[in-house]
Amino acid sequence: MLRVTGLDVFIDASHILRDVSLEVGERQVVCLVGRNGAGKTTTLRTIMGYRRPARGTIAFRDAALERMPTHAIAARGLAFSPEDSGIFADLTVAENIEIATWTRPTGRPGAERIARAYDVFPRLRGYAARGGTQLSGGERKMLSIARALALDPELLLLDEPFEGLSPAIIPTLAESLAAITRLGCGLLIAESNIHHVPPWTDRLYVIERGEIIFAGTLDQAHRDGSVLRVIGGKAS
Amino acid sequence: MLGGVFHAAVLFLVAAGLQLVFGVQRILNLACGSFYALGAYTGVSAVGWALGAGLPAPLFVLVLLAAGVALAAIGPPIERLLRTIYDRDEAFQLLLTFALVLMLEDVIRFVWGTAPVQLGGVYLVYGQARIASTTVPVYNLVVIAAGALIALGMGWFLARSRFGRIVRATAENREMAEALGVDMSRVYVRVFTLGVGLGTVGGALVIPATAAMNEMGIELIVEAFAVVVIGGLGSMRGAAAGALIVGVLKGVAIATWPEVEMLAIYVIVIAVLVLRPAGLFARATA
Ligand SMILES: Nc1ncnc2c1ncn2[C@@H]1O[C@H](COP(=O)(O)OP(=O)(O)O)[C@@H](O)[C@H]1O
Ligand SMILES: [Mg+2]
Repeated sequence: MLRVTGLDVFIDASHILRDVSLEVGERQVVCLVGRNGAGKTTTLRTIMGYRRPARGTIAFRDAALERMPTHAIAARGLAFSPEDSGIFADLTVAENIEIATWTRPTGRPGAERIARAYDVFPRLRGYAARGGTQLSGGERKMLSIARALALDPELLLLDEPFEGLSPAIIPTLAESLAAITRLGCGLLIAESNIHHVPPWTDRLYVIERGEIIFAGTLDQAHRDGSVLRVIGGKAS
Repeated sequence: MLGGVFHAAVLFLVAAGLQLVFGVQRILNLACGSFYALGAYTGVSAVGWALGAGLPAPLFVLVLLAAGVALAAIGPPIERLLRTIYDRDEAFQLLLTFALVLMLEDVIRFVWGTAPVQLGGVYLVYGQARIASTTVPVYNLVVIAAGALIALGMGWFLARSRFGRIVRATAENREMAEALGVDMSRVYVRVFTLGVGLGTVGGALVIPATAAMNEMGIELIVEAFAVVVIGGLGSMRGAAAGALIVGVLKGVAIATWPEVEMLAIYVIVIAVLVLRPAGLFARATA
């Protein structure tokens, strides 16, 4: 469904991504794992059209995304939840979620899309009238993902969804992500802690200094010496 | 005092346009004063023409409104021109919008000449009202009401309409809005045009009570910036409060001690800068 091939990205004069290739099949769950500063965020932001690659292609279904503006990429069905959640503090929780239903009409009615978002994150239902500032860090993460889901996407890009969450909510969020995949959505998750990678992940890529150094299953990663050297040493 | 509120109503329109464009597009648009001047000149011509064509005099205010609104059509091409500087630093933005000020001044000079243009006494068709021992033209009250209505309308639009919510989301986090499918170029054209329209309507409404002069744009932009500093950059409520403060202060100063008119405004500006540098209605987020 998403095929990234040979991506080279420069920020100012530094070469940040080198020949990055990765693939997410229909309804698949794929994790991009790497230490801080490895290039995960840059990869997701380049896919979303915020950065232009110097070389390489990004294909989503039949469309070439690498020259498309971000809003057109969203219109194709790619949704994004950034590292900092990107909640609109000036809007209520309900308005944050609704926006996506106004900008991208799909076959599914807006009310149903909103209901699906609340079904996946039931906690948000009680907060619908709250302002974006009155949420905890974990609630912001949930709202950010719920809002992305309301876009009715084919593929969700999540940048460090578990980062900064209390250990008590991590399983809840993992269960919500599983629920999203049951709705038929693909997931591409950037993660710096391999222990957060859900066991039902289809494939995992390890990125280090802007290069993909491993591609395979979670089991294979746990047995791979070079992967363990890069990220395995980090205790959960 | 009422003269001050009248001035505040017009000032609010221009400052609201400035705030809206800055809040969403992050451009400090010096030319918003020129839109105001252009609105004034166009208003004079439109009313002159309409009365000549046999329009009953009491309807002239509708002609002014229509002229102001129609003139907002210059918004999209000008926004097109400004698009090149969205990602440049403020110095370029100020330079280009200042170039726009000079260009629009030339346009005015070319079309209407250099002498002040006046509408005459039509605005007195509504008569005078006697309020607390002073008389004011009823027209001034109409403009105050129109300013208040537009302020309420803008408030409703930003708070409740879909596009208003999208505008607020964009103002807060442009990249996130784009990822949610918001086409920035469309939002920018509409917001900019709305900003132009607020300025041109303000200019058209003010003109019956004064004369259109080429300097009026520059004069107003100075006051509009004072409003913005007092109210807080990017805030609509700030624009309304700041316009009232500046307008009333100016009215009182002119009535009591005309020499200190500008000084009085700047004392307030400096006081706000010292005590509350972000303005009275600074947004928590911006
Ligand atoms: N806006 C930026 N300006 C300069 N360097 C950046 C910028 N964004 C990212 N980088 C650099 O790119 C590298 C990859 O960063 P990033 O993609 O954020 O990594 P990750 O998300 O894996 O932590 C880092 O070395 C970082 O310093
Ligand atoms: Mg990151």
